[in-house]
Amino acid sequence: MTTATVSRWDRFRESFFWYSFKRDKVAIVSFVVLLLMVLAAVFAPLLAPADPYDLAQINIMNSELPPVGMSGADPAFPLGTDAQGRDLLSTILYGTRVSLMIGFGAVVLQAFLGILFGLLAGYLGGKVDAVLMRIADVQLSFSTLMVAIIVGAVFKASFGNLMFGEVAIYMLIFIIGVAEWPQIARTVRASVLAEKKKEYVDAAKVMGFGTRRIMFRHILPNTLSPIFVIGTVQIANAIISEAALSFLGLGMPETQPSLGSLIKSGFDYIQSGSWWITLIPGLVLVVLVLVINLLGDWLRDVMNPRLYKG
Amino acid sequence: MALLEVNDLDVRFAVRGGDLTALRGISFSLDKGERLGLVGESGAGKSVAAFSILNLIAKPGYIAGGQVLFEGNDLAAMSERELRRIRGNRIAMIFQDPMMTLNPVLTIGTQMVEAILAHRKISKKEARAIALNRLQRVQIPSPEKRLDQYPHELSGGMRQRVIIAIALLLDPEIIIADEPTTALDVTIQAEIMDLLLNLCEQENVALMLITHDLGVVSQVTQRMLVMYSGRIIEQGPTREIINDAQHPYTQGLINALPQMGEPGERLFQIPGSMPSLKNVPSGCPFHPRCSFATEQCRQAMPEYVRSGNVDVACYEVANLIEQEKRMQEAES
Repeated sequence: MTTATVSRWDRFRESFFWYSFKRDKVAIVSFVVLLLMVLAAVFAPLLAPADPYDLAQINIMNSELPPVGMSGADPAFPLGTDAQGRDLLSTILYGTRVSLMIGFGAVVLQAFLGILFGLLAGYLGGKVDAVLMRIADVQLSFSTLMVAIIVGAVFKASFGNLMFGEVAIYMLIFIIGVAEWPQIARTVRASVLAEKKKEYVDAAKVMGFGTRRIMFRHILPNTLSPIFVIGTVQIANAIISEAALSFLGLGMPETQPSLGSLIKSGFDYIQSGSWWITLIPGLVLVVLVLVINLLGDWLRDVMNPRLYKG
Repeated sequence: MALLEVNDLDVRFAVRGGDLTALRGISFSLDKGERLGLVGESGAGKSVAAFSILNLIAKPGYIAGGQVLFEGNDLAAMSERELRRIRGNRIAMIFQDPMMTLNPVLTIGTQMVEAILAHRKISKKEARAIALNRLQRVQIPSPEKRLDQYPHELSGGMRQRVIIAIALLLDPEIIIADEPTTALDVTIQAEIMDLLLNLCEQENVALMLITHDLGVVSQVTQRMLVMYSGRIIEQGPTREIINDAQHPYTQGLINALPQMGEPGERLFQIPGSMPSLKNVPSGCPFHPRCSFATEQCRQAMPEYVRSGNVDVACYEVANLIEQEKRMQEAES
């Protein structure tokens, strides 16, 4: 077992993937920044000075304290506090965690639906293809926001505000995941159409493999690189969608803020001079989305079969 | 009873403007351990014949009539589920281009284990042991290492060895090899052909060799079929056909073989080219290119006549046999 993992590691070290990563400064920086942000988010409960979900720790008297370096700042709150007196640093750490969870969760759901339907449509063709792709077309003609507004309203009305806070994160994953699956389905379908004409598929049929085995074990691994590329970009998109929904008040409640709802909560106070409540989470959001997109661009270049001659 | 018996097989392609007949009235048989050659120009229907044996013709193609009896069961009428049990398991197939037939993103070992597990209920470990054994049998250097390698890490010759190993995985009764050496270097072609031949002899596997290389056919096979425009025009023992071809087309094929001769000597070629399926000539499809063509050839497809041990579909040959008979009768 150890020899297998060692050889796999060696193989990775010798791969074109690693080679081009080492040579691309933008990719390295983006990856390091993303890694730090993900780690900070994952270990937020350990890193954050305060727990923003714990009402007992919040003192309203501390509200709207500016970041360290400005007059009136409290060194206990390095990035200042928001309108409710929550430590902004802690809230951002927890908020990044929520945003990333929704981003990854939505893309996992998208990928699951997109791969399944894309494979079926591409490999089986005919009626299955026509039906699935028309559904995708219809789905794409609704904007994500519109679907989210309707679903969100229904959820809020049926669960009530309190319950809504608990299910909000799953609801957002569900909405963004379901709204965006056609993107991945179309990509997968296009690659499957190209792959299924190749001789190894004939060879697999000749070996007596069933349709399911051919689809999932033989064609799917060959379509993974575009899925990775589009999946990465979709994470960034999902995070933006979530931020937009939260900004509109349809996303995460302020008791469990994501980056989007933090930006929104500060937006009301920006006129009164408390710019940091909006600006700092805004910057974090921009950096997060930017590094993911940069990594996506780099992945696309590396995995482009026309550039990659392995 | 022959192991494989194809009776009067018709294969058509449903396209706009009606059906195109790709195979017409194909009949032949293959015994256990026999080696059969299938020869013809590109487009004669050799590969369609191979795929139709496994009932794997891609749409819009379909089997319009006839039987493919494997151990007495008709593959042309079998359900997909039953067919899957035969494909790869009892009848294996080797393709032309080893570059294309291996899945580029799976290791050799994974692909071989997959193939075994699709047919046998055994553990992965046992399947891997079988895979290793087959790789050893095709004489691949350091077979254990190959199991963890990807196809692109192997040379063309090695890849074709892997493909032969995959064909042998489940001890099939028949291997259909569709131009197995065409994509390889000349030096490796002979090596691979030898290997395939030896393995088939050792295991008593029947080999159906599809090729346009008459040299290989004459060395390897015991019987051969010559196809032209979807029909078998001549079939019989390889030696007899190669030494004394009856059908004008087969004669043309043999004469067209380049030989070591005087430099500057012109190569022989059969005039014209194979008709497209869309406008197959009436009667004998070869008549527009045939120097013996008569009015009779234009009218109707000739029936098979027997000359020695060879079946030929040609009026000219039939007439010659007729003449000979009459002369013999006259003498006696």
